[in-house]
Amino acid sequence: MYSSLEYSVVDISKQQSVLESIERLLHLAGLELDPRLSVFVIAIVDSKIVACAGIDRDIIKCVAIDPDYRGNNINLGLLEYTIKYANEHGQFHLFLYTKPENKIFFRSCGFYPIVEVPDLVVLMENTPIGIKRYCQQLSLEKKPGNKIGSIVMNANPFTKGHQYLAETAAAECDWLHIFVVNEDASMFSFADRFELVKAGVSHLKNVSVHASSSYIISKATFPSYFLKEQAKIDKAYMGIDLLIFRNYIAPALNITCRFVGTEPTSEVTNAYNEAMAYWLQDSQVSSMPVIPLIVLERIKENNFAISASRVRALLENQCYDEIKALVPPTTWTYLQNKYM
Amino acid sequence: MKKLRRSMLFLPAANAAMLSTSFVYKPDSIMFDLEDAVSIKEKDAARLLVAQTLQLPIYKESGIETVVRINALNTPFGLKDLEAVVRAGVDVVRLPMTNSAEDIHELEQHVERIEKECGRPVGSTKLMAAIESALGVVNAVSIAKSSPRLIGIALAAFDYLVDMQTERGDGTELFYARCAVLHAARVAKIDAFDVVYSNVNDDAGFLNEVNLAKKLGFNGKSLINPRQIELLHNAYAPTAEEVEYSKKVVEAAEEGEKAGLGVISLNGKMIDAPIIARARTIIELAAVSGVRKAI
Amino acid sequence: MKIQKEALAGTLESSDLMVKVSPNSGIEIIVNSEVNKQFGAQIRSVVESTLAQLNVTDGLIVIDDKGALDCAIKARVQCAVLRGAEVEELDWSKLL
Repeated sequence: MYSSLEYSVVDISKQQSVLESIERLLHLAGLELDPRLSVFVIAIVDSKIVACAGIDRDIIKCVAIDPDYRGNNINLGLLEYTIKYANEHGQFHLFLYTKPENKIFFRSCGFYPIVEVPDLVVLMENTPIGIKRYCQQLSLEKKPGNKIGSIVMNANPFTKGHQYLAETAAAECDWLHIFVVNEDASMFSFADRFELVKAGVSHLKNVSVHASSSYIISKATFPSYFLKEQAKIDKAYMGIDLLIFRNYIAPALNITCRFVGTEPTSEVTNAYNEAMAYWLQDSQVSSMPVIPLIVLERIKENNFAISASRVRALLENQCYDEIKALVPPTTWTYLQNKYM
Repeated sequence: MKKLRRSMLFLPAANAAMLSTSFVYKPDSIMFDLEDAVSIKEKDAARLLVAQTLQLPIYKESGIETVVRINALNTPFGLKDLEAVVRAGVDVVRLPMTNSAEDIHELEQHVERIEKECGRPVGSTKLMAAIESALGVVNAVSIAKSSPRLIGIALAAFDYLVDMQTERGDGTELFYARCAVLHAARVAKIDAFDVVYSNVNDDAGFLNEVNLAKKLGFNGKSLINPRQIELLHNAYAPTAEEVEYSKKVVEAAEEGEKAGLGVISLNGKMIDAPIIARARTIIELAAVSGVRKAI
Repeated sequence: MKIQKEALAGTLESSDLMVKVSPNSGIEIIVNSEVNKQFGAQIRSVVESTLAQLNVTDGLIVIDDKGALDCAIKARVQCAVLRGAEVEELDWSKLL
């Protein structure tokens, strides 16, 4: 026991010396500072910062302890303080990503694993029933049928390409579930994107549109500070995202296949499609059934594949006439009202 | 035999682990602290934890007296603490920052009301006053005599020394307060407790202070580390020579009584009633604590 | 009594437990203990009787136990429930 052990909360954007101490601590643990963090809980022994944990809204990040102070339950106290601090600021449902070797420690802090990408990362939440509850809720939306399709889309904004994908998938399936990525990091707000998707598929009678939950994770908040290499980061992120889909979301709705459009223009999204094939269809990475991935060729307009990014670019350059050919009338009306 | 109160072990009341293991160190009294050791946000949790811990039969079984230091009654927590611990069956309520007899009278009224409400025998909750200010020291006699519920008064150094515009040193700074509190206790025929010694790593310093307190006449001392209990009990234990001599005194007294002698002597020295009473106390103490071991 | 909002009580220290409560329809209790295999049922029964004493009808109660004594379990559950139900005035006859 250290008689002078204290915990406190600091804002590193305001305290340069604390920032430097924390960076030193993170480097000792082989971690980088996550750029989204400013609030840290720290443990202080004899005026020295010996452990830290960052809070990014509902995600605990950058947990590190000075190697000289390990094995004294300082980490446990640190996590307890962090959880209580987050609670006092309205965040009860907390997540963290960590290396699989730290799983046992965080388990002792009341965190439970959701999915794990072997050797890279494990996602945990501070409740044993969080994802189970979410799936129970989701399963109320379950529809009968043998072939149940799914599409996850950002729809930023909803284009004729999305509409074509939805129409084709719906025609092939007994029912189609569309998930709209629920985060406000895009040009169009989630509420607007969600309404545009609903309006754009309202003519299809066997389609449900869902908001993706906090379990369909945001790339923006995904921590990369402990993985460092871009290839590992991408693998970890996509692995977590797709395993949650395969292990929890698909079984809750009896989803049997997932549809995706080809990505001729973007290497990143193409890599995502390849990863999707791996995580959804490999029989080793999960004990849950394989989800066949069905890749549909994108439709084109004037030899250009229709994409939301093209619509955004045209909108920025005020080429409104060209947009009209790329989006369904529902999206067109919305854009007219909002921008023209 | 009168209840021994040599060691009063302070425990932070929010700490479940300490609360559930403290009795293994066998202090004479355990004081659960709801005041300074508990942060504002955890007052409710600590209160409940103490109330439930007091239900453990182990304290009654092992003869450890339970004391709870409540928050001052002029804080939002004091009365809530009192409601909890009186109902939970605590032996003694310790009031911090006692400045006058009125403070004890106010506490006493609340205690009596709660005892009646919960069906606890009126008067069964004992009280203890902590004196932590110059005013408290000056009023020590009236405080000590303020209630039949009072079992003792304790000097607490930290706030007192701030009030006196000085700081902890070799003991000179506490000299008057120690003597004043001790005299008040003796006048009222209740127990007196010396201050906490906070450097838990300095056994020699601790023992110096224990020996000073013992010589002055304090019944015991407040402690913050269970390790200090054994040191303290040993220092308060009679020496083998004292026990040997006391046995001879008692034997001589008993023989003298049988023989109907008015004046009793041992080795040619007269022994009177106070000497005999003290010898009996030493023998009783030795039965509880053994004889003092050389350290 | 119903759990109105999420609340937490206790610590992660050894010999203690952390109790999380949240709104729910009906009572649901989940016990995770480092000594689960031996004492899971015992912990659950302490939690159940504590909830019954307080007349809790609705709430999700999640326990992360670190080998706490029954008295600590009772105190922590009471604290989390009272915080989550936003109860200020305590009825000690139901708590002891």
